[in-house]
Amino acid sequence: MLEVALKALFLLIYATFVGFMFMGIIRKVSARIHRRVGPPLYQPILDTIKLLSKKTNITHGLIYDFGIIYALGATVMALFFIPIGSVSILRAYGDLILITFLLEIPMLGIMFAAMSSGNPWAGLGAQRALLTLLAIQIPLGFAIVALAEYYGTFSTYQIVMAQQVSGWSIIHIPLLLAAIAYDIVLQAMFGKEPFDIMIAPGEISLGPMVEFGGKHMGILQIQHAIALFAETLFFANIFLGGAVVTVFASPILNTIASLGILLIKQIAVLMVAIFIGNIFPRFTIDQAAKFYWKWPTIIAALGAILASL
Amino acid sequence: MNELIIIIFAPLIAGVIAWALDIKGIRELFGVAGAAIPLAYLIKLYPTVDAEGMIQYTLNFADFTFEFLLTHMSWIFAMIAGVVGLAAVLGMVSTSKNGYEWLFALMSLTGVYGIFIAYDLLGFFIFWEIMTFGSFMMVLKYNRGASLKYFILSVIGAYAMLIAIGLIYAKVGSFAFADIRSAFYRDALSLTVGGPTLFSRGEVAFIFGLFLLAFGVKAGMFPLHVWAPDAYSETNQSYTAMFSGVLSKTGVYGFILIYILIGYRLLYEFGTIRTVPKFGYIIAFLGGLTIIVGGLLAALQEDIRKLFAYSSISQIGYILVGIGVGTALSIEAAIYHAISHALFKGLFFLIVATIIYRTGKTEFKDMGGLAEKMPVTFAMAFVAILSLAGIPPLVGFASKWLIFEAVISQNMPILGGMVFFGSAIGFVYLIRFTYAVWFGQRPTDLDDTKDAPLPLAIGMGILAVLNVVFGIAPGLVAQELNKIFGREVIGGTIWELNIGVGKYNGLLITVWLVVGLLIAAIVYFLGAGVRKVPVTDTYQSGNPVTMDYNLTIRRNFFLPLKEALSFWLRISFDRFYKDIGKTVEDFAETMRNYVYNGNAQSYAWYFAIVLLILAMWGV
Repeated sequence: MLEVALKALFLLIYATFVGFMFMGIIRKVSARIHRRVGPPLYQPILDTIKLLSKKTNITHGLIYDFGIIYALGATVMALFFIPIGSVSILRAYGDLILITFLLEIPMLGIMFAAMSSGNPWAGLGAQRALLTLLAIQIPLGFAIVALAEYYGTFSTYQIVMAQQVSGWSIIHIPLLLAAIAYDIVLQAMFGKEPFDIMIAPGEISLGPMVEFGGKHMGILQIQHAIALFAETLFFANIFLGGAVVTVFASPILNTIASLGILLIKQIAVLMVAIFIGNIFPRFTIDQAAKFYWKWPTIIAALGAILASL
Repeated sequence: MNELIIIIFAPLIAGVIAWALDIKGIRELFGVAGAAIPLAYLIKLYPTVDAEGMIQYTLNFADFTFEFLLTHMSWIFAMIAGVVGLAAVLGMVSTSKNGYEWLFALMSLTGVYGIFIAYDLLGFFIFWEIMTFGSFMMVLKYNRGASLKYFILSVIGAYAMLIAIGLIYAKVGSFAFADIRSAFYRDALSLTVGGPTLFSRGEVAFIFGLFLLAFGVKAGMFPLHVWAPDAYSETNQSYTAMFSGVLSKTGVYGFILIYILIGYRLLYEFGTIRTVPKFGYIIAFLGGLTIIVGGLLAALQEDIRKLFAYSSISQIGYILVGIGVGTALSIEAAIYHAISHALFKGLFFLIVATIIYRTGKTEFKDMGGLAEKMPVTFAMAFVAILSLAGIPPLVGFASKWLIFEAVISQNMPILGGMVFFGSAIGFVYLIRFTYAVWFGQRPTDLDDTKDAPLPLAIGMGILAVLNVVFGIAPGLVAQELNKIFGREVIGGTIWELNIGVGKYNGLLITVWLVVGLLIAAIVYFLGAGVRKVPVTDTYQSGNPVTMDYNLTIRRNFFLPLKEALSFWLRISFDRFYKDIGKTVEDFAETMRNYVYNGNAQSYAWYFAIVLLILAMWGV
């Protein structure tokens, strides 16, 4: 019991910290792409501390508060189900479909909170977020189907273990196709251009986030950090082989090594997203729907059909 | 009097009394009793069913023998009818206006119990017609056009079934399920050794096609779903909780009957695609299309009742996919989803009934900001939304998860993609409902809306509690379903579902969700206090806002989706059927003009032609 609690605490602090670093990396790398110096890596942490220490906060009612608590709570829960070296608590229950759903439900909380504010921009942002969700779901679904059919199991941990024997998922053609489709989907899940339609700064005043300020926004920053960590971690686990290090005698060294390997893979996933995000302008929502229902869907469906043969 | 007969006829008798007395207060009492008695008897009979596996009763009436059998499966289906029927009837206490509605609502409940408990095709068909008639009369009172559309499609389905029953009876010589089942089983065995068979290949395919039509209409399967949006919306919404929650399950039960009665024969005659029987694949594929079409159309509706009607169609699609795949696991998953669909969709329609009862409005453009005025109803809606959208730890997730894994583990990538799409579209139309009804700016004419009346609140409460309990302890249902097959198809404890390739633990999810929420709440409460601001104190590009502005997007919320799908939306089966109906009417008109033309000489000519034909025959 105590061990589980300690692990959970460690995982939570680690994920939050690394997630904030990821947010810092995104800003730093984007700045370098634009030939700017950019803020320091720890800037998102400072931002969040500032937001959380605002003296006055506003609310539009109970759901407005509960929505963001729910968003953060669900993200924290999702984190515990994803295998992460030997630290993970619930990896035996880390079911592919469950995690895919768990990574989506924080959005429900954000939507609830945003919509209860009654702001028209928030409504517009919610509409765009939902249509993006609908658009990405088809390639995402096919990618998950391809994985499950290739490995014959839904357990993420077993998929990680299988990759230790047969090599990373992306060296197999059906799963490479699935990984490409999933990576395009990740762009929308991170909320990066060209699919940052839901937030759309400059276009619809941050959409769902428009009314949040103070501690509400601070909690959403934490949620975003953990979600960033969880989504990259999930991708690294299912397509890039995860990490199970057993070369050292000490379990602590093994854990640190596997966390390190995972971190490198996660940053690699993140870098691809940043590079794409910085050189493409934003799509409109109907373009995004048509795009996701065309190329990524074809690629992922091909992968799923090949995997099922 | 036998208990099975009481279960079946108690609602009808109560309904007749309620209609005959028609005294406010007393008719409600009889109505609730009519729904509660069968439920009480079903619970009382459970130990016997559990111990002996079945309860049998034979009734001889007018030279026909009617068999009734309460098996594990029919008990589960009858319990759906019992629980959702009781909740719907409690809702009707508030919303029904006269004895007429009580009579026909309870009559359709009798039909449903009869369908689930009958064990011969004749009884099955008679109760099928009673149910159809009861529900038709319920719709007729509200909207003639919708009711006729429902009735004509139902009649086509019912007579397709009657032809199939006739064909089977002509060869087998019995209506009893047991005889028919063994006849087809013998046929299948004979087929494997190349021996003679009772039914030819074409006849079996024809019977299957007729059953597909019959049950497809009732379940709302694409492309036979067109009656549902009109019929579900144009009636007492408390009754729709039963209409969509229970009556559509008779179609589902019918599809399972296909497996029981002629499944072996179809399997051996037509073979399989991978591990899925070919005939099942047809059902599953149509189910997949049903999910997509129902979901997309639900998102584009502007009327709260229509939205849930299409959503109901979409969810039935899941059940059909599960049944179509045809393994023990996928059929259990489908029945599980039938239970959870009845629970959350019954709840949704009771919520709709409350909203309409309290506000008198049905369109999204007239509503908004009701969460503050109807907190109890909103809490119920919150449970139902989480359950339908498939958010763990509610029952909707457990059953969808089972269907996902049952389908994908049979190596069916296209069906897998379809069910995935269905879960996203479910999310999409529910948020539209949430946004337009509960949140945002409230129109001033809704300012003195009251919360749900007590009977409706009790009905909603029953369903909401079951949604949560079965979600946290999904094994409760799963272990009951295992008894249908007599073996452990879904393993695990009452908290956990374990199907070999995957595991899901409802309790664990709940515990960790609570942990997550606590952590989030700690962060929240560490911050400074909050100040409540009115809805007009909001960001509108830096401009001041008053209540004169409409801040909430109430119309055409998913316009971009509509535009993206504009090509597909031009193809409408509703219009196609209307065109067919029009063509038939025109043809009848033409025939009337030409044949009965009022000219005495042409009638003389008909007589001469008939005589000529007889002469040529050599009479």
